[in-house]
Amino acid sequence: MASVADPRVKDLAIGGVRVPAALVRETWPDPYMDIEDYDPESDLMSLNMGPQHPSTHGVLRVKLFLDGEICVKCVPYLGYLHRGVEKLCEKLTYVQVPSVVDKNDYVSPMMNELAVCMSFEKLLGIEVPERALVMRTVIAELQRLSSHLLWVGTWGLDMGGAIGGGGSLFIHTFRERELFLDLFEELTGGRFHYNHHTPGGQRHDIPPGWEAQVHQVLNVLESRLIEYEDLCTDNHIFQARTVGVGVIDPVLAMELGVSGPVARASGIDHDLRRDAPYAAYDRVKVQVPVRQEGDCFARYMVRLAEMRESIRIVRCLIDDIPEGPICGAKMVKLPGSQKVKAKEFVYAYSAIESPRGELGTWVVGQPKSASAYRCKIRPPSYHLVSMLPYLCVGQMISDIVVVLGSLDPILGEVDR
Amino acid sequence: MIPDDARALFERLLEEKDPHPEIGPRVPCDQLLAVARALKEELEYRFFVYCAAAHFPAPKDAEEGTPAEILVAYRVRRLGPGTVTVPFHVRVPVDTASPSLASLYAGADWQEREQYDLVGALFEGHPDLRRIMMPEDWEGHPLRREYAIDTPHFPWR
Amino acid sequence: MALDESNKPFEHPVYSVLEQIPGGAIGLTTLDSLLTWGQRNSLWVFPMATSCCGIEFMAAACSRFDMDRIGSIARGTPRQCDVMVIAGTITVKMAPRVKKLWDQMPEPKWAIAMGSCAISGDFYRDIYSVVPGVDVFMPIDVYVPGCPPNPEALLEGMRALQQKIEAQRNGTWVEPVISADSHGLRAPGIPRVGSPSREDSVDEAQLASVQGMGLGGAEKRENE
Repeated sequence: MASVADPRVKDLAIGGVRVPAALVRETWPDPYMDIEDYDPESDLMSLNMGPQHPSTHGVLRVKLFLDGEICVKCVPYLGYLHRGVEKLCEKLTYVQVPSVVDKNDYVSPMMNELAVCMSFEKLLGIEVPERALVMRTVIAELQRLSSHLLWVGTWGLDMGGAIGGGGSLFIHTFRERELFLDLFEELTGGRFHYNHHTPGGQRHDIPPGWEAQVHQVLNVLESRLIEYEDLCTDNHIFQARTVGVGVIDPVLAMELGVSGPVARASGIDHDLRRDAPYAAYDRVKVQVPVRQEGDCFARYMVRLAEMRESIRIVRCLIDDIPEGPICGAKMVKLPGSQKVKAKEFVYAYSAIESPRGELGTWVVGQPKSASAYRCKIRPPSYHLVSMLPYLCVGQMISDIVVVLGSLDPILGEVDR
Repeated sequence: MIPDDARALFERLLEEKDPHPEIGPRVPCDQLLAVARALKEELEYRFFVYCAAAHFPAPKDAEEGTPAEILVAYRVRRLGPGTVTVPFHVRVPVDTASPSLASLYAGADWQEREQYDLVGALFEGHPDLRRIMMPEDWEGHPLRREYAIDTPHFPWR
Repeated sequence: MALDESNKPFEHPVYSVLEQIPGGAIGLTTLDSLLTWGQRNSLWVFPMATSCCGIEFMAAACSRFDMDRIGSIARGTPRQCDVMVIAGTITVKMAPRVKKLWDQMPEPKWAIAMGSCAISGDFYRDIYSVVPGVDVFMPIDVYVPGCPPNPEALLEGMRALQQKIEAQRNGTWVEPVISADSHGLRAPGIPRVGSPSREDSVDEAQLASVQGMGLGGAEKRENE
């Protein structure tokens, strides 16, 4: 590895991508550092953030050891929302699982369903028809838009406080998000948890007039995105709070398994939609926004750019959805009818690019059984939260709130 | 499918010509760190995807002495255009430790803790192997096959 | 639910003064109805939002389904709130914290269980780490069903709570009886609060678990 101290080296080739050398550090903070070693004389305060706190990221508890205002060590605790989904998946049949994993990443539920259904299709050998593939892509991008809208709103809320100005960004983005939830309600009947994807395709077909509604919503969103940029991007206070805060080393991100907009903001040019296309992503050339600064502002810019890209992808696909069946497997009437046909244990893994990163499912299939033997969900937010002990060291408390928000973890999928 | 450069590495280090396409070759415990280091440093598979464990109790009709096993499956990825993943796995008897990859991949740290918590897979050389999802004083490993899903826990359920 | 004496309709010291003045009873009723109107129309909410219902709660607070127009705003601390909305699944690890926060809320206080997970644990009710319904450890006034409930359903639930508060203050509220017989439905392993089959040992154990958190308790102050 070339020396990172050499200023002529602009980027390094690591792990298959080129990352900006300015962000790569020689050493990382030790998450298991003993507090006594820090400074035996000083009196460190231990502050508990959570598991219930107004920053709306869910039930995460973070124990901070503070030297004045600066954090010296950070220990996250998980498990406050551990609902045993993986154990439940062993009891349910393959068809029943998507409605359960809906609740993992509860901000973009169809992503979970898609990840799980793709793994099951690989395991059981089910073909998915064309119409379903294109619909999956369209819906995934709409979900990405609604997820990023929620992120922008709640991040603004974290930074500004409900009464201190963050509330205005929050209310603006939720207004747009309601339009997307209306779209999904037209399609599936549910605002929030859909049970739409099934191994083999989907359950609900596009109702008449849906495409026109999608176009209308996207036009509205495009004009509102300009409003959000006016509100935030050139705003001095916003920049003061986010530029240079929470810089992530791309090599650390890679080793921790962090992908998605967080990794792309640190210069890692990787996106499963472009590099390992699934569903109908090979038909649209996905342009992946990448930034080189690695701070919170870069993550914000990457997500805004991703929203624009999602709008473009949906517009590309929505008018040309091929006709045909929406489900490859016979619409399952009896829960036990999809079974593993092989005689020994079979394994499958497939991953999608969720708004937080690589969301995958590793599933073990038992012969002649309609239930998975072991279904492990690989949640991207788990790795994002595992970044906290490295990221929070040296930051002030107010910066930690901003950093945690910019990572966008969803505790439902961290704890499952 | 396992990419060719990883296949060549497995053949060189493990003499394994035909690894399983989905969970990779079975790596003996004493060679796990060497294989992982080679994948990371020689072939640039630096992205840690997952560490997943599954409990396989001894089948009922097996002979006397067939141990219950824990399968620990790993996967690493090389990023960028043409991204590929390489799986590999370890099978150990229950309550035997397999080596931990936490010294090589920072992401293995928490993943292995979770698998210890839920499945009871032990990892040797892990900096801090304790429960992460369940409360600290929980007994039992919930994702073991014999663990009852509706285990009560006074006074909350 | 009026489980203990401190939860009866609020009385102000001015009442005893007004009672002594001849004709003061009219002033009393007017004052009382004014205070009732004020209380029920300004219920500040403490969102105990753990999972998906929390997002619908946020949507209910936003511009389409505005919660502020019925006087409710969400506050981050239990000390300033009247109503606790439990939105989301409560797990065994989280339950002592929820109970602690409930105990920290000053009287008079009410609770709304939002969503199936808070009412009965939804389909997670048989799982080793999920509390099957929040009323296993705290009294609930309004149950709002749904997974997640529409924000309109939550607003309806808050409206129902407002009507309940008014009825309680007027003295026209009839307390529903929780029978020990579960009418053919499956009851949770721990009897619900207010159920005749619930024993004091359960209450004491839950309180002990709450007090055991923090210094010297189950989570020791470790320097890790």
